[in-house]
Amino acid sequence: MEMTKKVKFESNSFGKRLKSMLKVDFRRMFTTPLFYIMLGVCLVVPILILVMTTMMDGTVTVDPNTGVETVIEAFDNVWQTIGSVSGEGAAMSMDLTGMCNINLVYFFAAVLVCLFISDDFRSGYAKNLFTVRAKKSDYVISKTLIGFIGGACMILAFFAGAMLGGAISGLPFDTGAAGTTGIVMCLLAKIFLIAVFVSIYVLMSVIGKQKLWQSLVGSLMVGMLFFMMIPMLTPLDSGIMNVIMCLAGGAVFSGGIGMISNKVLNSTSLV
Amino acid sequence: MNAIEIKGLKKNFGDKQALKSLNMTVPMGAIYGFIGENGSGKSTTEKIICGLIHPNGGQVKLYGRDYRDGDVRAKVGVLIEAPGCFPNYSVWNNMMLQAANLSIKNPEKEVQKALKMVRMEGAAGNKYKNCSLGMKQRIGIAMALLGDPALLVLDEPLNGLDADGMRIMREVLTDIIKDGKHTVVVSSHLLGELQKIATHYGIIRHGKMLCEMTAEELDASCRTYVALQTKDMNRTKSILGCKYSRVEEDESGYIRVYDAKEPEEIVTYLYQNGVLVSEIKTDKIGLEEYYIDLMNAKEVR
Repeated sequence: MEMTKKVKFESNSFGKRLKSMLKVDFRRMFTTPLFYIMLGVCLVVPILILVMTTMMDGTVTVDPNTGVETVIEAFDNVWQTIGSVSGEGAAMSMDLTGMCNINLVYFFAAVLVCLFISDDFRSGYAKNLFTVRAKKSDYVISKTLIGFIGGACMILAFFAGAMLGGAISGLPFDTGAAGTTGIVMCLLAKIFLIAVFVSIYVLMSVIGKQKLWQSLVGSLMVGMLFFMMIPMLTPLDSGIMNVIMCLAGGAVFSGGIGMISNKVLNSTSLV
Repeated sequence: MNAIEIKGLKKNFGDKQALKSLNMTVPMGAIYGFIGENGSGKSTTEKIICGLIHPNGGQVKLYGRDYRDGDVRAKVGVLIEAPGCFPNYSVWNNMMLQAANLSIKNPEKEVQKALKMVRMEGAAGNKYKNCSLGMKQRIGIAMALLGDPALLVLDEPLNGLDADGMRIMREVLTDIIKDGKHTVVVSSHLLGELQKIATHYGIIRHGKMLCEMTAEELDASCRTYVALQTKDMNRTKSILGCKYSRVEEDESGYIRVYDAKEPEEIVTYLYQNGVLVSEIKTDKIGLEEYYIDLMNAKEVR
C-alpha cells in the first residue's frame, strides 16, 4: 500500500520562538530554589554588613608583628551601601565601604547565571533543546534577558536589605548631595549595567557548558576586569546621562557578546 | 523522498577519526535499525543528525533539506544517552518544559497523550530523580514523541527496559510509522528486539557503513541451518564434523549444521553411523548471528 508521504514543516517566527523560550526560562527561573536563595543572600548580606560594621565601629586591631593599628570604620550613612557621590573618591577605594556594597550583586549574578546555564547542559536539557531549535541566538537572547531580570531582582533585594539593615543598625538615611532622584537614577543605572555583566557570564557559561567551575572562574575573572567601572558609571548622584550610558552600554555589550556566545554555540559540541 | 541522506560524513575527535566518509540513507516511514559495536560511530552519527555536534566534512540532509534548517529540526524527536530532564522537577513539569520549547498549542493534552503512549501517565507527578532507569527511559521516549516528530532518533532506547517496557516500545514504534510520515532511527545492542521492529538496517563499523539493507534483504541473506538433538551429542558432533564444514552446539543444546541441504540427508548420514536423531528442525539465523558472522568475515579479510 502506498502511503501518503508528505511531512509538513512549519516556520516559526523569531518572536514566537523567543516567546516560547522565554516562557520556559521564566518558569524555570521562578520555580528554581536557586533564584530565591540568591535573592535571600542579596537581602541578608547588606543587613549583616551594616549591623556588624556598626557594632564594630571604631574597633582598633593591632598587627602583633608590625604593631600597625587598624581602625574599623563603619558606614556613616545607609546610602553608602548603594554607592558613593561622584568625586568623593570612596567610589574607587578598596576599603570596607568601597567593596562591601551593592556592587557585590554583580558577582552574585555570576553564580545565578552560571548555575542556571550549566544546569541546562548537565541535565541534558540543552540536548533536547538544541535538537529542536537550530537557532542558538534564541537561547543566548533568552538567557541574557532572564539573567538581566534575575540580576535586577537581586539589586532590588540588596536595596531592600540595605534599608532594613540601616533601620536595624540605626544609621542615618540622609540623602545629602545625591538626593532621592540621584539614588533612583543610581539604582536604574546599576540595573541596566547588569546587562553588561550578564552577557559576559552567559558567554563564559556557554564556553564552560557543563563545567560549572570553569564558567564560574571565567565569569568572576572577566567580571573583575569590569568591576571597577561600576562605581564610576553609577555614582549615588547619578543623572539621566548615567542611566542612558548604562542602558546603551548594556545593549551594546549584550548584542556584541551575545553574538560571540552565539558563535561559540554554533561552532562547538553541545553535548 | 528519504528522511535522512548522509554522504561522505567525516568526524574527527582530535587524532581519532570517528566517522570515515559515512554514507547512510533512511527512507521515509522506516524503522531503521542502526547497528554497530561500541565506538563504531553510531552515537556520533546520531548526534550530528540532531545538530549536537558538527561534522568535519560531508553532507547531511533531512527530508531533502540541510540538517541545520530550523523548520526541519523542529520535527525531530530525540533520545540520546539519557533523557534531558531536570532531576528536581516532576515528570509532568519536565514534559511541559519540552512542550513549551516546541511551541505546542495544547501542551497539557499532548503531554498526557505522550505519557499515555508509554504507560507513564500514573507517574506524571513523580520527581524525575526518583524514577527508576526503565521509567526514565520511557519518559525520554515520551519526551521525544512530543510535538508529533517526523523523525525520531533513539539511541539505545531499550536499555533498562523490562519485558513489558520493551513490548510497549515495540508497539509505540510500529504504530508511529503506520501512516508512512514518521521515520525512526533506533540504535541498540539488543539485536533480537531490534529485529522484531526494524524495516531497514544499517551496519556500521569503525566509522564506515558496512552495509544497508531492508528487513526482506536481511531475511534473504540469513542462512538456514539444521538443528538437531541426539542422546550422544559429542559423538554426533564429531561424526557430523567429518562431513560438514560448520557444526556448532548452540545455547539451547542443539547441534547446528549450517551447510546441510536437507534434514533427511543428516538423519540418513547419522543413522549410517549408528546415531539416532531424537529431534530435528530447520531454522534461519537471526540478526544477531548475521551481524556476528558479518563482523567475523570482515575481521578475517
